[in-house]
Amino acid sequence: MYVHSRNALACLAAAFVLSACDGRQSVLAPSGTDALSVFDLARVMFIGAVVLWLLVGTLFIYVTRINPREMSRRKAEILIVGGGVVFPVLLLGALLVYSLPLMNAPRLADEGLRVHITAEQWWWRVDYELPDGTRIPSANELRLPVGTRTGLVLNAKKVIHSFWVPALGGKTDMIPGRETFQSLQPVTAGVYRGQCAEFCGASHALMAFETVAMEPEDFAAWLEAEARDAQPPATAPARRGAKIFAREGCGGCHTVRGTDAVGQVGPDLTHVGSRKSLAAGILDVTAEDFADWIGHTDAIKPEVAMPSYDFLPREDLAALGIYLEGLK
Amino acid sequence: MTQITEKQEAREFHAEATSVWRITFGPLLWAVHFVVSYSATAVVCAKGGDVGVLRLGIGIGTFLALAGIAWLGWRAWQQWDTLRNRGWENDTGTSQDRHQFLGHAAFLLAAISFIGVVYVALPPLLIESCQ
Ligand code: HEC
Ligand SMILES: [Cu+2]
Repeated sequence: MYVHSRNALACLAAAFVLSACDGRQSVLAPSGTDALSVFDLARVMFIGAVVLWLLVGTLFIYVTRINPREMSRRKAEILIVGGGVVFPVLLLGALLVYSLPLMNAPRLADEGLRVHITAEQWWWRVDYELPDGTRIPSANELRLPVGTRTGLVLNAKKVIHSFWVPALGGKTDMIPGRETFQSLQPVTAGVYRGQCAEFCGASHALMAFETVAMEPEDFAAWLEAEARDAQPPATAPARRGAKIFAREGCGGCHTVRGTDAVGQVGPDLTHVGSRKSLAAGILDVTAEDFADWIGHTDAIKPEVAMPSYDFLPREDLAALGIYLEGLK
Repeated sequence: MTQITEKQEAREFHAEATSVWRITFGPLLWAVHFVVSYSATAVVCAKGGDVGVLRLGIGIGTFLALAGIAWLGWRAWQQWDTLRNRGWENDTGTSQDRHQFLGHAAFLLAAISFIGVVYVALPPLLIESCQ
């Protein structure tokens, strides 16, 4: 028992250290302007609190142990009025003046690009809006250019969710019937994990997404590719997969631009093969994981809105996997 | 002789009535500033008014409230008279004690009202939008 709990403790410590190092989803590894300023604020608060604690503790030991004599009235008054009224008022005032303006940045307007994100149970509908009004639909992944501020127009379908990419900025609630706004400005290219941060039902914990911060040129190239229609299946198994996709009526819920599939119930699958994750940050983008997902949706995500195609033969699932994985 | 002191007492007691009122003026200004700032912000943000004008208005209102409270605080400080008459207690029940005690209370209330007004005003003055 004792050894057990010691192991658990070691694991916990290791997990803490490792999770802080990995930093894909950590406020302790900030990579966006807003996360950086919150990190600074946290450090100021923490160090300040430690200094204050030491100061008060030392003073306490001084007056009770080291020099426990009666103080002159004047000294006592200075200590009480100065340390009890003037100092805290000035300190709290200074902290307010420092921290309140930090709330401006995440609410600043975008610099051209806006992304409309709608939280559904349990995935993210994503829609890029260019300055000229063009819309590029996507899902379950957010891509942002490094160095510029991108606006996020947030909404929710049925219940409240919350949008949060810890490494890039603060969180904002997503409320049905009400638009909320946040902007993000990544400073270093990389892949950061986001997570729904407001309990939204059975698969709330399985509602995540990857955020890919890209150099502006890379981002422009990616966006251009994302706007294109789906590539037609290139190999025989992929073509078979496309046929099964049509036969099973997947297009009633999913859109694959450039094909007959125009459903709006589930995520857009036009370029699903080029995403970093599958099923809202839960699986990998491999033909096997696609097949697993389609055959066992509700085992992977409890109460999911997509039916499980467990009646399909293994070869059909594999073909679907190959087709979808090829939708780059 | 006793008659005269009693009369005099009554007169002084009566004179103190205004300073009983006066101790409420600091918190009253704070309350008015609070209600006006919050309701104006709620209306402007809900109806989509000009946030710049709102913040300027709150700035001017804050300046006026602080000036008023500072003046009340200064009057109360003089009434308390703590520098000439050192001591924190005014508990003997004489008219002078009453006078100083009311000044003391009014001064402390003015100080807390001043801080309250500053803290209420900081968010609208430092945050630039309704979001
Ligand atoms: C009733 C509507 C519906 C049907 C029919 C349906 N799906 Fe789905 N699908 C969904 C929903 C909703 C999700 C999102 C589930 C989640 O993550 O919570 C989804 C998710 C997916 C995903 C993951 C997408 C991503 O962005 O990671 C794939 C792949 C997928 N479906 C493929 C299929 C295939 C193949 C079929 C047909 C065999 C199919 N779906 C039929 C509703 C449907
Ligand atoms: Cu959610």
